[in-house]
Amino acid sequence: MTKKYQTEAPGYTMTTVMEEAARCLLCHDAPCSQACPAHTDPAKFIRSVRFRNIKGAAETIRENNALGAICARVCPTEKYCELACSRSGIDVPIDIGGIQRYVTDFEQAADMHILKKGNSNGMNVAIIGSGPSGLQAAVTLLEKGYGVDLYERQAKAGGYLTYGIPEYRLPSNIVDYEIKRITDMGANIHLNTTIGEDITMDQLKADNDAVIVAIGASESKVLPMFENNDAVETAVSFLARTKDAQGNIDLPKDAIVIGGGDVAMDVVTTLKKLGVKHVTDAAYEEFDEFRASKKELAGAEAEGVTILDGYIPDSIDGHTVTFKHRHMNSKLTIEADKIILAIGQTVNANNLGIRLEHGESPSAGYKTRDEKVFITGDIAQGDKTVVYAVQKGKEVADEIDSILGGNHND
Amino acid sequence: MINKDLSIDFMGVHFENPFCLSSSPVGNCYDMCAKAFDEGWGGIVFKTIGPEHFKVDEVSPRFDELTKEGTPFVGFKNMEQIAEHPLDENLADLKKLKQNYPDKVVIASIMGTNEEDWVELARLVEEAGADMIEMNLSCPQMTSHEMGSDVGTNPKLVQKYCEAVKRGSSLPMMAKMTPNITDMVPAAKAALAGGADGIATINTVKSISNVDLEKKTALPIVNGKSSVSGFSGKAVKPIALRFIQQLRVAAGLEQLPISGIGGIETWEDAVEFILMGSTTLQVTTSVMQYGYRIVEDMKNGLMHYMEEQGVDHLADLVGLANKNIVPAEDLDRNYKVYPEIDWDKCIGCGRCFISCYDGAHQAISWDDKIRRPTIDTSKCVGCHLCALVCPVGAIHPGKIVMKPGREGDPEKVDVVSQRLH
Repeated sequence: MTKKYQTEAPGYTMTTVMEEAARCLLCHDAPCSQACPAHTDPAKFIRSVRFRNIKGAAETIRENNALGAICARVCPTEKYCELACSRSGIDVPIDIGGIQRYVTDFEQAADMHILKKGNSNGMNVAIIGSGPSGLQAAVTLLEKGYGVDLYERQAKAGGYLTYGIPEYRLPSNIVDYEIKRITDMGANIHLNTTIGEDITMDQLKADNDAVIVAIGASESKVLPMFENNDAVETAVSFLARTKDAQGNIDLPKDAIVIGGGDVAMDVVTTLKKLGVKHVTDAAYEEFDEFRASKKELAGAEAEGVTILDGYIPDSIDGHTVTFKHRHMNSKLTIEADKIILAIGQTVNANNLGIRLEHGESPSAGYKTRDEKVFITGDIAQGDKTVVYAVQKGKEVADEIDSILGGNHND
Repeated sequence: MINKDLSIDFMGVHFENPFCLSSSPVGNCYDMCAKAFDEGWGGIVFKTIGPEHFKVDEVSPRFDELTKEGTPFVGFKNMEQIAEHPLDENLADLKKLKQNYPDKVVIASIMGTNEEDWVELARLVEEAGADMIEMNLSCPQMTSHEMGSDVGTNPKLVQKYCEAVKRGSSLPMMAKMTPNITDMVPAAKAALAGGADGIATINTVKSISNVDLEKKTALPIVNGKSSVSGFSGKAVKPIALRFIQQLRVAAGLEQLPISGIGGIETWEDAVEFILMGSTTLQVTTSVMQYGYRIVEDMKNGLMHYMEEQGVDHLADLVGLANKNIVPAEDLDRNYKVYPEIDWDKCIGCGRCFISCYDGAHQAISWDDKIRRPTIDTSKCVGCHLCALVCPVGAIHPGKIVMKPGREGDPEKVDVVSQRLH
């Protein structure tokens, strides 16, 4: 059953992508292009596809987004560009993510090298964490002529891209290729290196002109009633070990997953694809307020997951969880081999000397009290999606450059 | 299900419906033509039969297509020549078709290299039982310059060979004309002078469909090279209709029997050719793309059209549009009609704004906030480019005004098309 987990849905061909691009109305002042948090310009790259200029389309995507092939696959486009699409006035929006995937796959097949390192300005920036925001910040800084060192405590770079999003949604080889593109530009990635243990924060600050903390919310929240229970695992742990093993894990007979976001949908869909017969998800939200994207919810439902909306855990006894409905007079008791918690994530910022409240900076923007230290990604204020991480990565790099001066001929 | 009589008489031969396979790869043997008859075609023009001494030697591959965005077969390029089977086999197929399908029309397309060939082929196909002869004077990709469109552009040769065919056979005969000519009328008149009873047109248009950017040659690539050859399909329909119209309005040709050919794939295309003066219709490209079954919707759609029009005899529709297509200098230039926007349909894409500015008269302004266009009648010339680019058909003819100093009643001006969008 690992094949189902390891296999991404097929993408467009030249013929089918052209059919989809031909549906695009090629709007004036296109709403899709105003709706991307990372300022991607779908109207321009779709127009390039329509006129068979796939290389030009790749340039439009890549020059704006160092993780274009990843965003093509994981971005909740229904909330951004596709929500704004004028085609909805006729039938359904253009599949912008799908077209972007075709273009970035073409870019990879053609071995294009669009992003280039700028002329060195002699300065160096350290980035703690190699998730999407850190990677994008690295690229923007490299383009501006900075040297960049990324520090990653895990054995592989990519953060949640590598250890979180399941293989069928984001193949490892895509992530690897995007990261290789960045190391080819000159980024140094130091793996298995934890700041505060292997290198001190003070040392990093001394060795670099600026330090960016891009550590992400890498740990699952756990409600007290689920602590110290062998049946319980966090979503972060489950997704990481499953992806690392490419789906070759010991499977539970059946499972309860708690949570209603995209992470919960990833867990339940993964379990089903791997062959777990009975998978039930209990979500705090009812369907009309669901947090997971429609696409991920539909994916879970298509795999046959049972979803109990509006239920919260009330008590647990070993493998048996009792849920109660938030509004109705209803209690359900379910026993399962495995209980997985996908109820949100927290930040572990030990030994970094930065101040966080509820996992993010108490103030807007990317500065900290220490003028040499900046933050980005999940711990900066704003949305916690990959596309926002990319935008925050660009913005923190721009801010550092405006402070440090960089190459004044930019 | 609707059922109306689609029969029509053409050059003295009765067709149960006007739809025929044209002389091409789609009617290359008995089995193909029999299947076409079984699926409802009224007639077939068997693939052109040549003289015994002309050996057909085809290239591989031999086709190419023009595409646009996601649309295949916008146009089709073809390098195939005439029937490759031996003469005896072709004649035997004609005979068997006529025996097994006595109520269908079997048309023999023939092509010779000299008068003797034409006389002899005409005699042989009549002997085999064909109902009608079509002279192929128009194939643009023959390997002999004594055959095909090089002959059809020379009125003297056309007349001479038509006379030869008439010496060899008394069957009704149409001459198939090439569009690779500025004016088809002299060639058509030469054919009639030589004894032809009607005209079939158009054959394919000489073309280069696509160029391979790496190999620097045209498609299809035949061991590194390619050739100019015939283009057909939807893209040539406007060219075909133009030639047919110009034949039908030429002095002395007003009643010219025509078998119309060129990009027909729907009942609407078929009606257009009939209104332009075609009595029968011939189809190849859309059959190559979709198969013989397309005749079902062409016949059924044509029946519904006749019903809507209150017409019981297909012949009553032939040539009805000819009189309404007039020289440019005879058109009414006294008024203009402003476009009108249906706000219930507008989805705010701004395509009208872009095209009006870049391709017309900067008469549409754009409100960024509400994403809606406004038409400025002081600048609008009434060209209606905006209506053509609108993806939702929200723009249609609106208020009609007379140009300053011109006479006329705007109420009586007729500009509204009934065509479905």
